[in-house]
Amino acid sequence: MMTSPEMRDLARCLLTYEASVGKVYGSKELATLRVYEKLRQSLIGTTGVAGFHAIASRALALARDEAPGLNAAQVAVDGSLVALSESGAQVDMDKNQTGEYQPNEGGVILIARLFELLLAFLGETLTLRLLQDAWPAGALGKDIAEKG
Amino acid sequence: MSKQDRVIIKKLPTGVPGLDEIVGGGLPEYSFNIIAGAPGSGKTTLAHQFVFANATPERPALYFTVLGESALKMLRYQQQYTFFDPAKLPGSIRFVNLSEVVLEKDLGAVLEEITKEVEKANPAVVVVDSFRTMVRKPQSDMDLQSFIQRLALFLASWQATTFLIGEYAEDELRDNPIFTVADGLLWLRQTAERNSIVRKLQIMKMRGQDSVPGLHTFRITDAGIQAFSRTFGLTARVRSPSSARRLSFGVAELDKMLDGGVREGDSVLVAGSSGTGKSVLATQFIAEGISQGEPGIVAVFEERPQAYAERATSLGLDLETPQKDGRLSILYLRPLDLSVDETMQSILDAVQKIGAKRLVIDSLAGFEMALSPGFRADFRESLYRMIFALTGIGVTILSTVEVDESFIEFPFSTYSISFLCDDIVRLRYVSIDGQLRKIMVVIKMRGGNHGKDIREYEITSKGVVILGKRLVNYQGLITGIPVHSQPPDPIDGVTNE
Repeated sequence: MMTSPEMRDLARCLLTYEASVGKVYGSKELATLRVYEKLRQSLIGTTGVAGFHAIASRALALARDEAPGLNAAQVAVDGSLVALSESGAQVDMDKNQTGEYQPNEGGVILIARLFELLLAFLGETLTLRLLQDAWPAGALGKDIAEKG
Repeated sequence: MSKQDRVIIKKLPTGVPGLDEIVGGGLPEYSFNIIAGAPGSGKTTLAHQFVFANATPERPALYFTVLGESALKMLRYQQQYTFFDPAKLPGSIRFVNLSEVVLEKDLGAVLEEITKEVEKANPAVVVVDSFRTMVRKPQSDMDLQSFIQRLALFLASWQATTFLIGEYAEDELRDNPIFTVADGLLWLRQTAERNSIVRKLQIMKMRGQDSVPGLHTFRITDAGIQAFSRTFGLTARVRSPSSARRLSFGVAELDKMLDGGVREGDSVLVAGSSGTGKSVLATQFIAEGISQGEPGIVAVFEERPQAYAERATSLGLDLETPQKDGRLSILYLRPLDLSVDETMQSILDAVQKIGAKRLVIDSLAGFEMALSPGFRADFRESLYRMIFALTGIGVTILSTVEVDESFIEFPFSTYSISFLCDDIVRLRYVSIDGQLRKIMVVIKMRGGNHGKDIREYEITSKGVVILGKRLVNYQGLITGIPVHSQPPDPIDGVTNE
């Protein structure tokens, strides 16, 4: 089953936002990792490390089917995402023809899968609240911001 | 110490309909409570209802989940309940997972983690779910009793009302220090009785409050837990003083037999075998009340409200209009797994909603059949509680009961409930001169001087109509097979005085 277009759009929004924030602060951290880490920090208090680890592992397993570039990535014991940088640009951000960074499909799919699992477990309202707590309204795209 | 000098303990709403009454008006603020029971008994749901009823952004609720309670799954399921308001998360209700610290560290570290979170959030409510899993592993640096005492002291000092949720068995009550330290102990039970599940809760301990003792039925629906107090929430109501007012039955001759009618606030039993007109009489009773400006409730179990109203129409009694304008409610209570208490709660709710003055239960046999098998054993006791509660607030109750016709005895009820009734009207068939006729007699009227006559009656298009005067010249009428004490009238066979 493919990730839904809505979840991909949301993931793209957040990756683009984090890429631009990272650029401003001169961070070399992958945008995918920044988004993932914010989600982990938001969720881990509620779910516990084991709870987040379980859901993240599932998301990664699902995402690998669509994006083989994620094969090297692993969810560590503390729930963090490791070895993503080995996939590098294949999963994170690429420059387009005009020189702007655009999220690559690997990162989009992984984050979208995580959102889908959250939606399945928590429902739309709680998932949106979680995202709205972690990111400013502008980062979530107009549709999501308006839903909140 | 005068009453004014004593500390006033604020009572918090439980968020569970019916439970406030049971615990004595709400849960004491800053109390340290245990919710105990077997898996699936509703412990987490009860805690959630309390949390959603009391958490605010200023004084939030901290919900600590431990091993066994996956927060994601819990949120997934709990949000199915209508009380679950997602807008309260995470501002007013915060879930904190303690699994790692419980698994990897000792109780001292657990207490430290809870302390840190509580000091940060300043919560009004703290829940630990499940506390049992938190203290299950062998402890080394801090014994269990010390941990519990320090936890209770800390949370009370930080002005939090606390719930520890645990899967305990009742034989653990004696040896477990948690039950000694707790201010409140709510025990939830779930048992299978024949084909039905029966849920009951008990307040085993509630410091400083006069909780309602005993086992109270509860049900879990999509609205969460609803509890049914054994006292039906009427303990706080002032009993109406005895009324001297008489209520008409809608049958003038019967009113005379009752020395002017039924005393207001009485419980009347109309007993008779099938077809003797019990329901007709009950319908006349309720219709007469409505015509006198007394709203009424009819609880039917054997036919649907529409059929009941249509039958009344055939007797020239309009039950449709008063239903439309809120003076009458016909309740159809037929599910086969009801508890007595929730059935009675439905009746009570309806009584209170329309301010009913008259209540008809038609019939007790149907009522009993509508209950889940496990509750039938409690039927008589529950009926007693309901009648006592309702008549206490001035409602006059008429119950019908079917009795097996016997020609060697004259039973009033198969339920041995005649002691619950102030007045008993007995209807029966009698064989007279080759005809099966009907007779009526007032058996009992508490505190009243009722008529002693045995009267013949018929069921006509106008309802129950009592014929002529008392039957004389017959002996053994109540056996159903009387004998003439003088030769019968050659024309109608009945000699009237």
